[in-house]
Amino acid sequence: MATPTLSRVELDYSGGERLTMNMGPQHPSAHGVFRAILTLEGETVVGVDAVIGYLHRCHEKLSETLTYAQYPSIASKTDYVAAMTSEFAYVMAAEEIGKIEVPKRAQYLRIVTAELQRVASHLLWLGTWCMDMGGALGGGATIFLYCIRERELILDLFESLVGARLLYGFYQVGGVRYDIPSGWAQSCRQTIDLIEQRIGEYEGLLEQNPFFMARAHGVGVISRELAEDVGIAGPLLRGSNVNFDLRRAAPYSSYEDFKFAVPVEAAGDCFARYRVRMAEFRESIRIVRQVLDGLPEGAISSRPGLKSVAQVRIPKGEAYSRVEGPRGEVGCYLVADGSAKPYRMKWRGASFSNLAVLPHIIPGHKVADVVAIMGSVDPVFGEVDR
Amino acid sequence: MPVSDTRSKNGTEVGAILKAVLTAMRVTFLNLFRKPVTVHYPDVIRKYPERYRGLLALVYDKETGEEACIGCRLCEFVCPPAVIKVEMLKSEKRNYAKTFTLELYACEFCELCVQVCPTDAIVMTRSFDMPTADRREMLLDKDRLHALGLQHQPSWATGNLLRDMQGPPKMARAEAAHAKKEEETPKVGGAA
Amino acid sequence: MPAWITPIIAPFIVLNVVIGIVTYVTLLERKFAARMQSRIGPYRVGPHGLLQPIADALKLMMKEDVVPTRADRRVFNLAPIVFLIPCMLIFATIPFAPGLGVADLNIGILFFLAVSSMEIVGLFMAGWGSNNKYALLSAMRAVNQIISYDLPFIFAALVPVMLAGSLKLSDIAAAQSGLWFVFYPVIGQLAFAAFVVSTLAAENRVPFDILEAESELVAGFRVEYSGMKFALIQLGEYAHIVGTSFLGALLFLGAWAGPGPAWLGPLWFLLKAMFLFLLVTWIRWSFVRIRVDQILALSWKVLLPATLALLVATSIVVVWRHGAGV
Repeated sequence: MATPTLSRVELDYSGGERLTMNMGPQHPSAHGVFRAILTLEGETVVGVDAVIGYLHRCHEKLSETLTYAQYPSIASKTDYVAAMTSEFAYVMAAEEIGKIEVPKRAQYLRIVTAELQRVASHLLWLGTWCMDMGGALGGGATIFLYCIRERELILDLFESLVGARLLYGFYQVGGVRYDIPSGWAQSCRQTIDLIEQRIGEYEGLLEQNPFFMARAHGVGVISRELAEDVGIAGPLLRGSNVNFDLRRAAPYSSYEDFKFAVPVEAAGDCFARYRVRMAEFRESIRIVRQVLDGLPEGAISSRPGLKSVAQVRIPKGEAYSRVEGPRGEVGCYLVADGSAKPYRMKWRGASFSNLAVLPHIIPGHKVADVVAIMGSVDPVFGEVDR
Repeated sequence: MPVSDTRSKNGTEVGAILKAVLTAMRVTFLNLFRKPVTVHYPDVIRKYPERYRGLLALVYDKETGEEACIGCRLCEFVCPPAVIKVEMLKSEKRNYAKTFTLELYACEFCELCVQVCPTDAIVMTRSFDMPTADRREMLLDKDRLHALGLQHQPSWATGNLLRDMQGPPKMARAEAAHAKKEEETPKVGGAA
Repeated sequence: MPAWITPIIAPFIVLNVVIGIVTYVTLLERKFAARMQSRIGPYRVGPHGLLQPIADALKLMMKEDVVPTRADRRVFNLAPIVFLIPCMLIFATIPFAPGLGVADLNIGILFFLAVSSMEIVGLFMAGWGSNNKYALLSAMRAVNQIISYDLPFIFAALVPVMLAGSLKLSDIAAAQSGLWFVFYPVIGQLAFAAFVVSTLAAENRVPFDILEAESELVAGFRVEYSGMKFALIQLGEYAHIVGTSFLGALLFLGAWAGPGPAWLGPLWFLLKAMFLFLLVTWIRWSFVRIRVDQILALSWKVLLPATLALLVATSIVVVWRHGAGV
């Protein structure tokens, strides 16, 4: 088979008793469509060749044919697990070029949905990671179903706000499209209270568990130098002792109004990343509570309601906007040329950059660790392949 | 009686492991007695929320009873995957849509067509029940869309309501309409 | 009744009953696991899913039998049979009530343990004959794991043997008329715990199911099997689990001892075996799995020395309790 040699790590295929095994695009724990060509010596992995591109749908070219009013619904489809994040990056880039003000209420609503989306995405991460480690017919599936049960509650909230459960179309250039219905704040508070309690239950289920600790401690260590070198972001970075969170370092959309902590762990292994994400649950819930307490009255968009497809025209310019998504930094680089469609748009996919660390940390581990590491890196291939 | 010395080997470690194992088993055991969250579809259909983005439909004007669609093709232009095709039929007082086809199998359910409609003609309904074995049945023509509009309950969102909700110039009018809507319709359901 | 009929009818009846129990045990596991996960298991096929195992069996019979092109045909086709036969044979020595069993051998438990270890041959044949790297990897892990855990399994099972003083299974059951061996102070509980852990590992149940490990090896050694051959392998696996549950109930939980008249004995036996099965299932659906090197470390470094020490302690206890004449 033709192995694309795009990785910089030099693979040594010589040596006795090496087995090349394909962890192919169709695989129960590939987290999407991901092909890893593993070179094994017994049970130890000595080389990883990553092949991506199975989910490429030409988002960047597509965005040149769709206007600023149409594309946000499509942007959801890059990171389909945390759909609000991508929309956020796109509309922020357009607003930055066009110097469009976003009303305060819209900014707060954006934060609420972004943080709820982070909780939902991390719930999915926890479920699928435990399922990878525990098997679809085993304890992993139990935790998976519990997490999905909780995620459904958040999706119910989104459904009563937007009408859709997975791929929204909530953001628009200038603000958001929907205002919260009455009673939503109340049910939102009830939901996050319940989820906070259940997360405590899951931590109790996993943390002192010897089987889980054996699988997660010391596995997939990303050293601080490697983390800063390769360009990963998000919980991977914060699990390797780098205190960098875009919501703190470069606050956008009124994040500076809220008090929250940025969890950082020093160990750099799967367990550290797990702890970072569990702490992020609690911080996101804290932010949602603060936003709901202080939600100002006002308009939800600074532009008039959408009446025609080419209504939003952005003057000539370019901007790169960054959003701290559940997986890391999602960036959108937009070049506008004064018409209703962008001239060029490029996504910086968080998972795409995070995957680059795999050939550095997997060799030396056993086959079983490959799934544990991939789960803790938490890629979503819509973001990788776009 | 002499006791086997396995327990003293690493006593506290074994104790801690045992405690953790039993805690985990306790959580799953307690869940045995919680009510399952399964909804027995299609015997039981859950109540879709007010703003649900379900099947699309064309509606008739509330006062006159005529078709609300004036064939302006704004929905056709705004649709991102371009699934709507409309032909306008000119008439003396107002225009109509001669043909209106919507490819539901390719529709994204993004609600942009609803948003731009000037006459609130196209709406989304609070239902998703259209299982079919043949994709051609999901190519909806005008009669089918009107039938769906009569068959299912429409969602809250229509073009004018959405534009009122979003636009700053009509803020006062939108708030009043919003408040009136909240009085009339039942409250949104709660969590869990 | 002619003397040659009984050796033919008795195994026939036992085999059919066992297959029936095994099929419905799959449904029991699915419903139990579902309830632990906030959902309901099979529900539509028959009232509350009671006809689901039959539907599954019919479906598997009707499936196409796929043999990979470059697989070793003879080995591939023989493997499910070689795997199934030991798993069924273990039921021959189990007495379901005093005097009710196919062959209550003098060396009953030795036969059971020896034959149940033979399934590894069938397993490796399946992994090798499939000509598939995933299957091969799984088969290699299987040989490692099952052989490592058979030793603690045997030693843990030997504790009741020593306490009862006989290898004959009905004798062991009868010796528990006063006190079930699981309630025997300290030694009984430790032996029971070691038995349960070794059972989990010897049958590839999570947390030791590294050899099927769906998320890594997609069904492991049975990945290339479909249709009736797959059904035979599943049957063999579940029969093995039910068999060791029966053994555990007999060794530790007093077999057919229970309140009520003597003809209720087999029913109590079944209930105790199901309790043990549900315990194994409960553990299965609560934990993630551990890696193969950790599994082997657990077996050789912890479980084997522990069970050996337990055996020595048991012998001391037996001599001390019953005097040197036993």
